[in-house]
Parts: sequence; structure tokens; C-alpha cells
Amino acid sequence: MRRFWLLLVNEFRLARTAVPIHMVAIVQPTVLYLVMSVILVQPTFDMAVVRPTTVAGQALVMAMEEVGSPVGLPYIQPILVDWDGEPVARQVIAVEERDGVPTAVQHFGLIDSNLVKNFRNRLTAAALRLWHRDLDRRAVRIVEVPWLARDVPYTVYFGMALLPLTAFLAGSVLGAVLTAQEFEMGTITEYRLAPAPPLLILGARLVRLVISALAAGGVLLVAVGLVTGVWPSAVWLVFVVLAPVGLIAGCLGTLAGLLLRKVIPAFLVGLVTSFVGWLLGGAFGLAAGFSAAYALVSRLMPDTHAVELIFPRYYGISIGRPLVSVAVLLALSAAMLGLTVVAYRRQVVTQG
Amino acid sequence: MKRFWILFRTELQAWRHDPITALGGLIPSVFILVAFGLLFGGRLSFKIAVLNNDEGAHGMVLAETVGEVLSPFGSSYYDVLDLTDEAAWAEYAAHRIDGVWVIPPDFSERLTAGQEPVIEMHFSNYNDDRAKNHRIYSAEILWRFYDKVGMPRPPLALAETYPRPQMIEWFPVIAVGVSLLSFMLGAMINIFVLTHKEHVAGVTIEFGLAPRSLVWILLPKTLLALLTGLVTGTVLLGILYLWLGVWPGRFLGAVYLLAALVILFWVPLALLWGMRARYFVGVIATILLGLTVFFVGGGLSMVRYNRENVPWFSWLFPNTYAVDPLRDLVLFSTWPADWRSTLLILAGFAVLSVGVGWGLAARQLRRLA
Repeated sequence: MRRFWLLLVNEFRLARTAVPIHMVAIVQPTVLYLVMSVILVQPTFDMAVVRPTTVAGQALVMAMEEVGSPVGLPYIQPILVDWDGEPVARQVIAVEERDGVPTAVQHFGLIDSNLVKNFRNRLTAAALRLWHRDLDRRAVRIVEVPWLARDVPYTVYFGMALLPLTAFLAGSVLGAVLTAQEFEMGTITEYRLAPAPPLLILGARLVRLVISALAAGGVLLVAVGLVTGVWPSAVWLVFVVLAPVGLIAGCLGTLAGLLLRKVIPAFLVGLVTSFVGWLLGGAFGLAAGFSAAYALVSRLMPDTHAVELIFPRYYGISIGRPLVSVAVLLALSAAMLGLTVVAYRRQVVTQG
Repeated sequence: MKRFWILFRTELQAWRHDPITALGGLIPSVFILVAFGLLFGGRLSFKIAVLNNDEGAHGMVLAETVGEVLSPFGSSYYDVLDLTDEAAWAEYAAHRIDGVWVIPPDFSERLTAGQEPVIEMHFSNYNDDRAKNHRIYSAEILWRFYDKVGMPRPPLALAETYPRPQMIEWFPVIAVGVSLLSFMLGAMINIFVLTHKEHVAGVTIEFGLAPRSLVWILLPKTLLALLTGLVTGTVLLGILYLWLGVWPGRFLGAVYLLAALVILFWVPLALLWGMRARYFVGVIATILLGLTVFFVGGGLSMVRYNRENVPWFSWLFPNTYAVDPLRDLVLFSTWPADWRSTLLILAGFAVLSVGVGWGLAARQLRRLA
């Protein structure tokens, strides 16, 4: 045990040989999250309305203020402006008479269809409120039955889905670089000559990679909590889920390093696999909600299963089939561990 | 001039030994393009089931209306799936559909009698943006439904104006942002890799010992990087042409001018970086920098119309200023209204960066020697 401990300490000391790559692997997803959390779409939109001079205009502004989620944020922040028909930058709403009918005309600037959709829908929602007042008991009432008690900000899901990527990126990239540079620098010979059992050396490396992956996940978890104010209900369970992800990634990175023996190609394997796994593993929404093909492919990604297992910690409700996800993560871990042991024996022990 | 061409050819030959580095500027851009194409280039409708239990006719009208109303994307807000009750709830529970609308048996009866007809809308709100869409889409559906069933006219009619006959789609807006990224990365990776190789091989020491001004050394390097950036960006524009059918046409020269000024801002930074950073770490840092600039510098939406959402630090680099005029030229085939001011700003960035970057690089080369 003491020998293992010494090997583990040595593995962490190796960080000094690749300080920048450690910074990139551990901190970059958190930086990505912080940048994206600034620009990710918010439900509340500023909407310019020409300062109302009529009863209809005033009623519309009041209705706009009412549009929103009963269990979340308002959707419209009306901004009263003076406008005399000059070209519009974004949008402006003017209430005017058209053929004797009071009409809310929304003038758009050269904005994309997504923004047009958002502005159009919001104005319709506000005008519909006025129509409903007129219709009174003839109006159709929509009883909303949302899945959760409160609307959860998108930044929570985005950050949660980044957690597996973070663990994967740290495990795979560090595993790839640390292993490949042993061949490039020739230090692999020291391992070949070492009196310690080879699997003990490999074990220390993998444990170190899993710890690095969990540390990276921890940094992001804190960032998500600080940005959104939402923290997982049992932090230790999140780390329990991320541990096999880190192990799978660490094995993948180590395998890449063992087989390619060059830092850059091995690094690229880790980098590309991490991001592909993230994009196909429910990066932007629950995988099941996308196309059938996407949903099918996503089941092969550890990220999907990790997201589904972490989801209850943030949202208090289970999704998917947790036991299947646990089984998949364990099976992938075992398979990758087996492959790594075989490759390590071939590339390090036998060829030594 | 002869000296310039000799050094330019030397740089070109150095690049020809390692042409694969050109992919460094292209691969991340194509990767981003494909990722966003998959996410936003397809149909963006919500998949829902409408369970119509109404014993009258209005429920059917409403169910039909749900799938009829078109969004500005040109597709319907909702894809209504034909599912049995049991299948609908199972799909909803598995998150394979976004919502379920339930129309009760007495819907028509209550509507006709003016007794507060009710429908249920079950939807997922783990993402507040999608929950918002469910709520505001439903307003569009009801608006059309009231029209169809002949309800009294609304107190306030709706109309809109748009400056073009055709709506600008979102994905092409993103795609042009990606093309600016490829212009920038193509040049940065080139000058970074070449400088780094020269640095490792000790050639930079020879540069530092040159008796003439170091401008003769830095100019060909910068021009080659500029050329590589323009080629990389053109390849991406070619991909956009094949994918989306957009091409700047007669505005290609203007596109190159904008791109060149942006490139000239970034190239000196990559030059300095190439003399210090370790090879692969430098490439990674360059790519990550490019991606970050893409995200915060108007890559995802039009800057002009989202000024309040643009972080302050985005105004510290030229991409934020260049991306919308580039969209004017590539997507709309129109001359940007702010062409002159944009050129002045970009030229300012370029002159400042080249001046400071070349000065620092020359100083470093002399010190090395």
C-alpha cells in the first residue's frame, strides 16, 4: 500500500511536466461555462413600445407586463420609447389605427428569424390577454401542467451537462499527454525497469486521472452553483457518477498514449472524443428529446448516462432508467480498464 | 523588394514542409459549423401529442390548428404526433415528446355556451427557455383558433413589418460568424506554427542578427499568414455555398478586406505567442482563444440588434465590429451601411496590433540574438 501511495504521489508530481495542459484540461470547461452563461438566452426580453397615447396602447403595455411564467420569470420588459418612423435597429411596437381598427404593429429591424419568432410570440401573448378580457367566459383557458414545480434556468442544465465533459476531458487529455510523453521523453524505460508490479504503476496513474477528473468536475460544480444559485442535493453522489466517467476517459487517454506514443495525436484523440461525447450526450437538452437517431447514438455515450444519473441531484426527479445507466457506466469502465491493462502489458511490459 | 521575395519564399517553403497545419484553422471551424448545423439547421418544432376527447367539433378544429400555425422559421411551431393516449403519456414520460395537450369531452359544449372552456397543457420546464416557448407558442395557436371558429374580433389587431421580403434564418447568421473564425484561425495557426518551428530550430537567432530592419523579416511572415487565413476562410465560404447556397459574389473583395483587417489584428499576437509557447499547448490555446472570441464576439447572433447582450470585453477585439458587415456582404449581398466607420475601426485595431506586435517581436528577436 505504501508503494502504491508513493507511486500516486509521483503521478501528481508529474503535473510539473505539463502545467499548461493541466490548466487547459481542468479549467477550460469552467471558462466555457462562464462565457456561455453570459450569452445564453434569457426568457425576459426588452421590447420597445412607442409611448402609448391611447387607451388601447396603455392596455397593451399593461398586458405585456403580465406575460410571463407563473412559476418563473416575466417574459417581457416593456421599454417605452419615442419613435417617429426612422429605421428600426431591433424592433419597436406602435399602436395605430389601421382601417379604423386599433392595431399593434411590430416593426422589425434586420434581425434573424429566431428573434422575430420571440418578439412575435410575446406580442401575440400580450394581445391575447386583451382579447381574453373581451371574450370573458368564452375565452379558452389553458391550464398549465409543467413537469417541475418551478422553471429551471437553462444555465443549470447547460452546466450540469458540462460536468461529464469536464471529467472526460481532464481524464482523457491528461492520460494521453502523460502517457505519450513517457515515450517521447524515453522515461518509459524507467517504468520497464522498475521493480514494482506494472499493474500497480498503471493503477496509480488511473487513480490519479480519476482524481484529476473529479477535481475538474468540482471546479465546474462550484462555478455552476455560484452562477445559478442551484446546488446538487448530494454532492458526493455527483462525484460517484463522475468517477466512472473519469475512469473511462483516463483509460481512453492512456490507451491513446500507449498506442500512438506521440503527444499531439494522443491529445487530439482525447480532445475530440470528449467534445463528440458531449455533443452527442445531451449537451443542450435531454437526448431523448432529439431525433430517434440522435437518441440512439447518445445511448452509446457515457455522457448521456452520467447526465441522466446526475439530473435527479439538480432537479429532484429521476429520468431515464438509472439502473441501466449505472450498468452501462460500469460495463464501459470494466471494458476500458481491461483494454488498457492489455495494451499496457503489450506496449510497456512485453516490449520492455 | 528582392529581399522580401526571398524571405517570403523561405516562409512558403517552410509551410510546404508542414501543410497539414493549414487544417488547424479549418477543422475547429468545420466542427463548430457542423455542430450548430445539426442543432439549429434542422426543424425546430416541438413534438407534442394532442389528445382530443371532445365530443363536439371544436376540439378537432383546435387539434388541427396546433399543427398548422407556422413560425418565422417556415415550419410549424408544433409537430403533432398521431399517438394513442397511452403511447402519448409514455412518450412524454420518457421525454421523447415535448408536451401533451388534453382537450376534455365538454370543450365544444363549454365554448359554445360561454362556460370557460379549458384545455390542459402538459410540458417540460427543466429548461426555462423551452418552457417559455410552450407558453408563448400556445398564444399563437389560440389566436388562430379564435379566428377559425369565428370569435368576435380582438380589441387590438396585430401586424408586423420586416425590412426584407424573406426572413433571415438563424443558422446562416451563425455560419457567417464561423467563416470569420476560420479566416482568423487559419492565419493565426500558420504564423504560430512557422514562428515556433523557426524558434525551435534557432532560425530566430539568425533573424535577430540581421543587419537590416526586422520589418523585412516580419512582413513576409505576416503576409503569408494573411494569405493562409484568406485561403482557409475561402474554403469555409465554399462549404457555406455548398451547404446554404450563400456566396458574397461581387462583394468578395470587400469580404477579403474586412477579413484581412481582422487577421492583421490577430497575427502579431500569434507571432509573439509562437516565440514563447510550447508547440501543442500554443495550438490549443490559439484554437480556444478563437472559439471564445467567436462565442462572445457576435458569432451566434447579429451584434447590431443585440448590443445590450454583448459583453463589454467583446468590444476590445475587431471581430465584434466586423461580423455584421460581413453578414451584410455574404448573406444579403448589400453594402453595409456602416462600411466606412467599420473600416476605420478595423484599420485602427490592425495598425495598433501590427505596430505594437512587430515592435515587441523585433525587440525579442534582437534580445535572442
